[in-house]
Amino acid sequence: MSELMTLARKELLDVRRDRVVWIVMAALGIAIVLSVVVASLDFRAQMADYNAYVAQVKASGSGVTPQAPQLFPLQLLRGGMEYVEVLGALFAVVLGYGSVAKERARGTVDLLLTRARSGMSILGGKLLGLGIVWAVVSLALVVVSLASVAVIGAAHIGLHEVARMLLAGAAAWVYVMFWTAIALALTTVTKHSTPALFGLLVAWLVVVLIIPQIGDTMDPDNQVPGGLFNALAIAKPDEQAVLAHFTSFESGRNALEVSSVSKLYERVTFALLGIKNTYTGQSLAFVWDGTFRNIYGAVGATLAAFALAIGAGRRVHTLRRSA
Amino acid sequence: MTTTAIGTHLLTHRYGSHAALSDLTLDIREGEIFGLLGHNGAGKTTTVSVLTTLLRPSEGTATVAGYDVKREPRKVRAAIGYLPENVTFYNDLTTAENLSFFAELSGLRKPGARISEVLEFVGFTGHDRERVGTFSKGMRQRVGLAQALLHRPEVLFLDEPTSGLDPEGVRALRELIVRINDEWGTTIFMNTHLLSEVTKTCTSIGILRSGRLVHHGSLADTVGAFPTDDALERAYFASAESDAA
Repeated sequence: MSELMTLARKELLDVRRDRVVWIVMAALGIAIVLSVVVASLDFRAQMADYNAYVAQVKASGSGVTPQAPQLFPLQLLRGGMEYVEVLGALFAVVLGYGSVAKERARGTVDLLLTRARSGMSILGGKLLGLGIVWAVVSLALVVVSLASVAVIGAAHIGLHEVARMLLAGAAAWVYVMFWTAIALALTTVTKHSTPALFGLLVAWLVVVLIIPQIGDTMDPDNQVPGGLFNALAIAKPDEQAVLAHFTSFESGRNALEVSSVSKLYERVTFALLGIKNTYTGQSLAFVWDGTFRNIYGAVGATLAAFALAIGAGRRVHTLRRSA
Repeated sequence: MTTTAIGTHLLTHRYGSHAALSDLTLDIREGEIFGLLGHNGAGKTTTVSVLTTLLRPSEGTATVAGYDVKREPRKVRAAIGYLPENVTFYNDLTTAENLSFFAELSGLRKPGARISEVLEFVGFTGHDRERVGTFSKGMRQRVGLAQALLHRPEVLFLDEPTSGLDPEGVRALRELIVRINDEWGTTIFMNTHLLSEVTKTCTSIGILRSGRLVHHGSLADTVGAFPTDDALERAYFASAESDAA
């Protein structure tokens, strides 16, 4: 354990001294803040439209007042969570790749291998170090998110919101660690760093962007902005009755979506924060019932990625300059 | 009566079908400074890589400090210090941080005092808070030697230690190598293609050509066979010619 901690501490020190890492993490924080700003402005615009409409209704002498738009504070984080899903994964790939590629470029592996117990412990130390980095970053993003919602969105933040946001932070950690571990593994097992980076970027493109996009496009409800059933004013029971005729299609679409760890992360986070309508205002027990398969899937994928990364330590000799 | 510090028997290493090292049999006694001579690509670095457990031998056996490189690699690593050719460190970390990292990897707890001691020994005090990335080749070589000595190794492996150094740096490093051997009794295995280095520092030599050991003996015996100023050079080329024949 002490060897792992020594290797992890070195990794932390290395990351702390890397200005690029600071810039990238700050960019992620700024993206979240900006997304809350945009969501808040959007909500204010909705309220202004509503108030104008109510004023018109009152002026016309009608006594019917439509329901005001509801603000569920954590829904303001929709864009921020999408940034974590897309950019967080990309930064995790870069961080994991850089950790191994720098070792290869500097030629420090020979010294490591004549000291450390094994290549697996070297990779384990890197994983632990980067895990701590991401834990700190995830916690910082939770604080930034809550502060943005409270200050910019002028929303009340209670214990309930803090707990949900902490769970969303944990989900983000599991998600970015998946990508970090995959990057560590692939960069270690390939003989040269450039093809590894290319492979990782292709994987990121497919898993983060292409598969979820295909899944979304196949969703019948997404064929019209704002939702097909909503646009046609179809009630929920009727919607479910219609969808019952498309179970095979829906199973296929679901299988495609859950093959992407990004979609699993999105489903869990959107449910936790009440961004997806089904879960808005629902208890955590309800969220668990609806998403536990996705949680198992995401955690399982990340554990498998950890195993791959540590197992890649057997091939750590590929990082030697003479290899 | 000294014991064997490094022993190999028919040691072979192949990269695919190419044998970089063939049937190497060596016996280096404790306290020796052994110089392995050879042209570029002769197999010197492969030999050091196998003996430092960086490469697994394809055939044959090797022991370092009494431990088998195949079966007891961790014990071998604990007993050796290693200075690779073109030693590199974590450039964004300071000298002290780099050394502390490698010391802790070697199992040293609170290595501060030991780091100061080795830095003083290699004549590099006052640079412990500077980042290694700012150092010249000669300075990095001293830090490299310091890291190799941190855990008081029984055997020290130096791969082309004077490569790329200026004449002053070469002399300073040569003196350090002799001092390490004199004061701490460390067995030293040094790869080089510079005959003058061997003459000035080593007590025994081996000559490697195309992966095969063509000469092994004490420096005195080798030089004695050619009683001229360029004795070692003559010995080297004589070995090469007899091998070619």
